[in-house]
Amino acid sequence: MKKRTMFFRMITASLIRRRSRMFIALLAIAVGATILSGLTTIYYDVPRQMGEQFRNYGANMIFMASALNEEGLTSDILEQGLTQIPDSKIVGCAPYRYETVTINNQPVIVAGTDLQGVSKTSPYWFVDGEWPSSNGQILIGKQIAETLSCGIGDTLLMTYSEEAIENPEQPDEVPDRGLNADAVNIEFTITGILDTGGNEESYIFMSLEDISELTGEGPYDVCELSVSASSEELTGYVDNITSRDLGITPRLVKRVTQSETTVLTKLQSLVFLVTIVVLMLMMICVATTMMAVVTERRKEIGLRKALGASDRSIVVEFMGEGMMLGAVGGLIGSFMGFAFAQAVSVNVFNSTITLRPILVPITIVASVIVTGIACLIPVRRTTEVNPALVLKGE
Amino acid sequence: MFLRMVKGALTRQKGKMVMIAFTILLGASLATAMLNIMFDVGDKVNQELKAYGANIIVKPKDNSVLEDLYEVDGEDEIQSSYLQENEIGKIKTIFWTYSIVDFAPFLETTADVNGTAVTVTGSWFNHHLSLPSGEELDAGIVGLRSWWDIEDGQWLDEKVNPDGIMVGTTLAQTLGIRAGDRITLTTDNASKNLLVVGIYNSGADDDDQMITNLDIVQELANTGDLISSIEVSALTSPDDELAQKAARDPMSLSVSEYEVWYCTAYVSSICYQIQEVIPDAVASPVRQVADSEGAIMEKTQLLMILITILSLLGSALGISNLVTASVMERSNEIGLLKAIGAKDGAVSSLVLTEILITAVIGGIAGYFVGYGFAQIIGKSVFDSSIEMKPIVIPIVSVLIILVTLAGSIPAIRMLLKMKPAEVLHGR
Amino acid sequence: MSLLELKDVSKIYGPLKALDKVSLTVEEGEWVAIMGPSGSGKSTMMNIISCLDTPTEGQVLLDGVDIAKENSKRLTEIRRDKIGLIFQQFHLVNYLTALENVMVAQYYHSMPDEAEAMEALEMVGLKDRAKHLPAQLSGGEQQRVCIARALTNHPEIMLADEPTGNLDEANENIVLDLFRQLHKAGTTLIVVTHDPEVADVAGRTIILEHGKIKKEVINSKEK
Repeated sequence: MKKRTMFFRMITASLIRRRSRMFIALLAIAVGATILSGLTTIYYDVPRQMGEQFRNYGANMIFMASALNEEGLTSDILEQGLTQIPDSKIVGCAPYRYETVTINNQPVIVAGTDLQGVSKTSPYWFVDGEWPSSNGQILIGKQIAETLSCGIGDTLLMTYSEEAIENPEQPDEVPDRGLNADAVNIEFTITGILDTGGNEESYIFMSLEDISELTGEGPYDVCELSVSASSEELTGYVDNITSRDLGITPRLVKRVTQSETTVLTKLQSLVFLVTIVVLMLMMICVATTMMAVVTERRKEIGLRKALGASDRSIVVEFMGEGMMLGAVGGLIGSFMGFAFAQAVSVNVFNSTITLRPILVPITIVASVIVTGIACLIPVRRTTEVNPALVLKGE
Repeated sequence: MFLRMVKGALTRQKGKMVMIAFTILLGASLATAMLNIMFDVGDKVNQELKAYGANIIVKPKDNSVLEDLYEVDGEDEIQSSYLQENEIGKIKTIFWTYSIVDFAPFLETTADVNGTAVTVTGSWFNHHLSLPSGEELDAGIVGLRSWWDIEDGQWLDEKVNPDGIMVGTTLAQTLGIRAGDRITLTTDNASKNLLVVGIYNSGADDDDQMITNLDIVQELANTGDLISSIEVSALTSPDDELAQKAARDPMSLSVSEYEVWYCTAYVSSICYQIQEVIPDAVASPVRQVADSEGAIMEKTQLLMILITILSLLGSALGISNLVTASVMERSNEIGLLKAIGAKDGAVSSLVLTEILITAVIGGIAGYFVGYGFAQIIGKSVFDSSIEMKPIVIPIVSVLIILVTLAGSIPAIRMLLKMKPAEVLHGR
Repeated sequence: MSLLELKDVSKIYGPLKALDKVSLTVEEGEWVAIMGPSGSGKSTMMNIISCLDTPTEGQVLLDGVDIAKENSKRLTEIRRDKIGLIFQQFHLVNYLTALENVMVAQYYHSMPDEAEAMEALEMVGLKDRAKHLPAQLSGGEQQRVCIARALTNHPEIMLADEPTGNLDEANENIVLDLFRQLHKAGTTLIVVTHDPEVADVAGRTIILEHGKIKKEVINSKEK
């Protein structure tokens, strides 16, 4: 029989036949490994998961027509711009067209937009009533609703004519020729009142089809984008789009991007430090448990020495045993840790995470190393003891 | 004799007891640190979220929508109503005064610079306020516009540059202005020669505007001590059902609900309290900031709670593991005690007392070590210390005692089942 | 040349002289019993001969090599190669089977050999209990496993420390019979005991007291 076979025979016998003690040690290692893999997964996942929460702050990038672009921000140009950003990163996209119309001869700004896109880019919009679901329905800002003293269910007659209103903000505007001279009158139903605490409260929002019907076809003024990406990635997209000269000037909404970076960095470093502290303590816990388990076996170590085992072979045997435990514990822990991270993700962020396969070997190696070291110290100390004293039954 | 035996075990079996105490110390410190961070993380993240700027805006009551529209239409600004500058300080007299982190008044006007009409905003930068309560503070947009990049020059300091102005980056390029230049602003009412202190990049519309001290704009617009709006940054609690109900109509609440709502730092109750002290004003939450803050804080807190639970479980297992192992190790001693006639109860209480004394020592030391950990994390992540909540002490104590008992009882029961003869013969 | 020779060996623990200038010679194939009351230095002498301890003074020649001067690593090697140990408390590894316990000694000595280990067990009459764990064996059986473990490497000297101290009469006889067989086969046996019956079966009994040899008895009547 090979020496190595006997080595493994002894180790497995020790692990299997001393079940209860080994179970204690295994439990400690598995818990340590769970925490390692769980927290590491969370640590890596925090920017993504929290990043999605930060999308609550709304658009972090806007597209505008560049100065040299005479057509304005048409849907074709917008499409091209959007292809520069990976689809999976775009949380929401809402193009806006602003026009001035009159209601009872009072000038009012109406914004035509993709209302579904808006609910993504501006999740903070608080709508009293319903979002418009079909054409002919509008969302009205709280302030302008007060000014016009109208409420949900009321109808508004809007009038648009090219001459009636001078529009200094959009001088390039080229509405459909056919509507040039005649004023267009369309009646809209209010389905909801918009409360944001910001400027939006003074506009009226309608679908893009409605605004085209009312004021004719035209390019967008601006497109708001909510992109789930780090600030470096965002800057990358902006530079890329600018350099391609698509007729789009992309800009980052600094207030959102900068603040997000600040807060996310803090949060991530919080999780990082917490992970480090927890890991340190768990390592020591594993080490003390292993020490207790090894110290318990002083007699056996003494016996092995008396039978002629060299210090080195004893250390190797115990380390082998410890590392085997570490490997099994690490394997169990890496999956339990994933389960934990998954539970956190589902409970906190309502989304699932994918297993990072690389974490499994890392967790196993880490637990093998920790348990190995944890065994090494007490085994070393025990081998220094005179076997005669140990065997006499101290 | 009982005490003597306990004392003997504690002092003579020093190595083992130190190891148990050490593990308990680690567990207790982890629990302390995590619980404290968990309780404080809401406040800390709330502070960090102030980077997003004001979450409440205060406007005059009958300030109409027309202001925005006329501006767009390029006509002269007609603002029908204003707030008084001297009312701003009242914001710091509300019930939730300590929640108010920063605020700044705003007044806009249009002025002529070298033949170009530009929008000039007047505000506070680092305005020093001495409140009737004796509190002193600096308020202004330096804190409320933390995302601004100063591309050239520096932030305006009210004390150093009473005649300073800051220019948006787009406007500065158009007009060819750099920090250190002097520009002249002219309106129908006055003309001012101002020093450009800094060029800012805000990434938004205000990049083609200028901002200067409030009194300069008041002079240019000839409005006296009036202002058009106040932005307030307040630490708030995430909204819940009560807050939503109150937001719709505070009057719909019952008396006790009203009390709870009023005494909670909801954004709606703070708005309500601001309106109480400034009667002509409407304070409304800036939903983009207020709602998102609530969501993020809630998630962060939940995340920390789960991490805390995991680490508490981890330390509980670690402690009970070691306690189990060390009790089992003493099978010889326990066998001997039983052989010389000790009753099960006596043996158990002896072992338990020893371990509990060790646990108490380890737990107390652990609390202070945990305090240290919490402070290290607080300082390195948030640059501020973590407040130690007294509630943590009972939680940690109960936890440690329960865990120690849970760890030792099964082991003791196992030992009691053994026959002394077997134990003594080391089988 | 004698197999083992102790020359003026002393072992001093602080003020206590556990062994005081003891000289002793053991020839190959001899069966020597060491007797004496507790604290007479029996165990110390045993530890020194078994290379578990070194004397403070004096020479211990084993096969002509002075083991008093060797370092602990060399001592371990000498012990492994030349000495078989039998303990009062048996000291079996409790999670290994009888067979595996014997194989542990082979493992450290040279190569584990299951067949050879089985032979040793057969010799002590435990072939059918090879797959049992120590907890499943009686005290006498455990001691026999211990003896099998000691003899499997064919040591030059077999050292037994109170081998019958934990055994009943019947098992004591089994063990003594085994010793007789070993003696017949030519194994050198040194047995530490305080049981005169055990000492009597040896060829020579050395009686220790206060760290000195008090008297030496030659037991002529071989049983």
